[in-house]
Amino acid sequence: MSDANRVILLVEDNPDDVTLTLRAFKRSHVMNPIAVARDGIEALDFLFARGAYAERAGTPLPTLVILDLKLPKLDGLGVLKGIRADERTRLLPVVILTSSKEDQDLIAGYSLGANSYVRKPVDFAEFVEAVKVLGIYWLMTNQGPPPRAAS
Amino acid sequence: MKISTKGWLTTTTLLASIGVIAGMIAWANQEVEDATRARRQMTELARGLTELKLVHFEYILHHRASARQRESEMAGRLDRLIAPELFAGAEQRKTLARLRERRATTHSLFEELLSAPAADDINNLVGESIRRAESQLSSRLLVLQHDSLADAFALSDFSNDRIVAAQQQVMHVTLAGLALIALSAGAAAWLINRNVLAPIGRLKQATREVAARNWNYTLGIVSNDEVGELSRTFDAMTLSLRTAFAQIERSNQELAALNQEIEAFSYSVSHDLRTPLRSMDGFSLALLEDYGDKLDDEAKDSLQRIRAASQRMGRLIDELLGLSRVTRAELKLQSVNLSEMTREIADALRQQEPQRAVEWLMEDGMKVYADKALMHIVMQNLLENAWKFTGKTDKAVIRVGVLQQGGEKEFFVADNGVGFDMAYADRLFGAFQRLHHESEFPGTGIGLAIVQRIFRRHEGRVRVQAQPGLGATFFFRLKEPVHV
Repeated sequence: MSDANRVILLVEDNPDDVTLTLRAFKRSHVMNPIAVARDGIEALDFLFARGAYAERAGTPLPTLVILDLKLPKLDGLGVLKGIRADERTRLLPVVILTSSKEDQDLIAGYSLGANSYVRKPVDFAEFVEAVKVLGIYWLMTNQGPPPRAAS
Repeated sequence: MKISTKGWLTTTTLLASIGVIAGMIAWANQEVEDATRARRQMTELARGLTELKLVHFEYILHHRASARQRESEMAGRLDRLIAPELFAGAEQRKTLARLRERRATTHSLFEELLSAPAADDINNLVGESIRRAESQLSSRLLVLQHDSLADAFALSDFSNDRIVAAQQQVMHVTLAGLALIALSAGAAAWLINRNVLAPIGRLKQATREVAARNWNYTLGIVSNDEVGELSRTFDAMTLSLRTAFAQIERSNQELAALNQEIEAFSYSVSHDLRTPLRSMDGFSLALLEDYGDKLDDEAKDSLQRIRAASQRMGRLIDELLGLSRVTRAELKLQSVNLSEMTREIADALRQQEPQRAVEWLMEDGMKVYADKALMHIVMQNLLENAWKFTGKTDKAVIRVGVLQQGGEKEFFVADNGVGFDMAYADRLFGAFQRLHHESEFPGTGIGLAIVQRIFRRHEGRVRVQAQPGLGATFFFRLKEPVHV
């Protein structure tokens, strides 16, 4: 259903949630390759081709970042701040996908430049539906920023 | 010494001074009056003595018999004048006594003169001796009268001196009294300034300091009077205020810390408690989807129950968070149009279940002063309840209106649904308390707990009246806005 080269970066520490999110993508026929980062530092390393991801240098940025807020080492808001602070990733679409719908999280997320905020429902059927809509919108409907000539 | 004692002393001094002056004036008046009378009498006496002298002369010159008559008249008048004791001084009394004595002598001399035979009728030798005796008598008479006149004038002068002395004394005493009054007034002004006005100035400063929450400010006026007492009371008040505020401060800090803990707890609940539920639901569904053909109906039912329970727990967590959010939310009070809000919620309910025929009776123009978002939660809960519990009622009616109760507005949401037994009414507003089975009327039982908490936060009240089978009515009051 979409370009196999357009990678989605899923930043999620809970293995259950990773499995379920991947399953939801599969069930909603999102075919894009999905990279998983298990904490905030790993996510930034992936994006900026540092540390364990040094060999990624030169490869295009992911099409979409799906970001949980509660993460080890560096939390989701910290990751978002890092993404928006760097010239290379400033315009990268970031969707927050998390359990909470606390006002403080919503406000902080949007203030730091999240493009979207989706709450994970407990009901897995609803979760699949949410991921489906998310995939259709961000991978098909939405026009992302133009690829940067520099990178 | 107390200020009141000082004031009393000053007032007494002033009044005493005035009293002394008044007494002095009264005394002087009496003195002048007495002296004037004495003087008048002495002047009268002098005049009488002069006239008597003329009578004597006349007799000596003309020997008229009528002189006796006139002398006796004059003598009576003069005797009356010198009869009373007009003077207090011993010398004056002596002088007056001398006058009386002389009067008597004069009178007897004149009598003697009168009884002497006429010299013209007697021969020359005898006549000559009579004339000599007559002239002797006459000269004695004149000398006596002259002395008396001199005494009368002396007494008159003495009275004059007495008047002048009295007037002078009055002047001195008045001057001394006025000086005393001036001194007392000056002392009073100085005392008021030192003991009252200056401390009041300090007190004013102290009230300013305390108003600016400087609880450590103490007056420390040690004087033993009323101002000192006031100062001590004031310092005691400041001390108790200081203690009370310190306590409030501590409570506030504890409360803030507690709030922070609740905040952190809610945040953690919101993130972490739902995650395992998602796994339970998600993997149950995965089992059903992937291995459905290998599972019998009982296994599938068990998995469905796991899913339902997980989802229900998710809802409970959400509602608990909602309850906690209601507690934590900052109140933004404003005028809220309750009628409009009711209409919107009613429309939404009708759209959700268009097949239901419910009669809505809503009063227009109902306004409350409250937090709009929280008031919406209240009305949403109450109206949803009314809607839900009239679900099995024919000719369902939901009424929303306002009553005047003792000058206060009491709003109500009434339905004619299933109602409940009032014996359970106090359980109604507790979290997760339900009076009906979930299979009959679905719900988590948190709605009314939220409603009550919202009213509590508004310092309002909510109560309920119900009867099984006849419906329930929720009444609520909110504080009227305070116009400043």
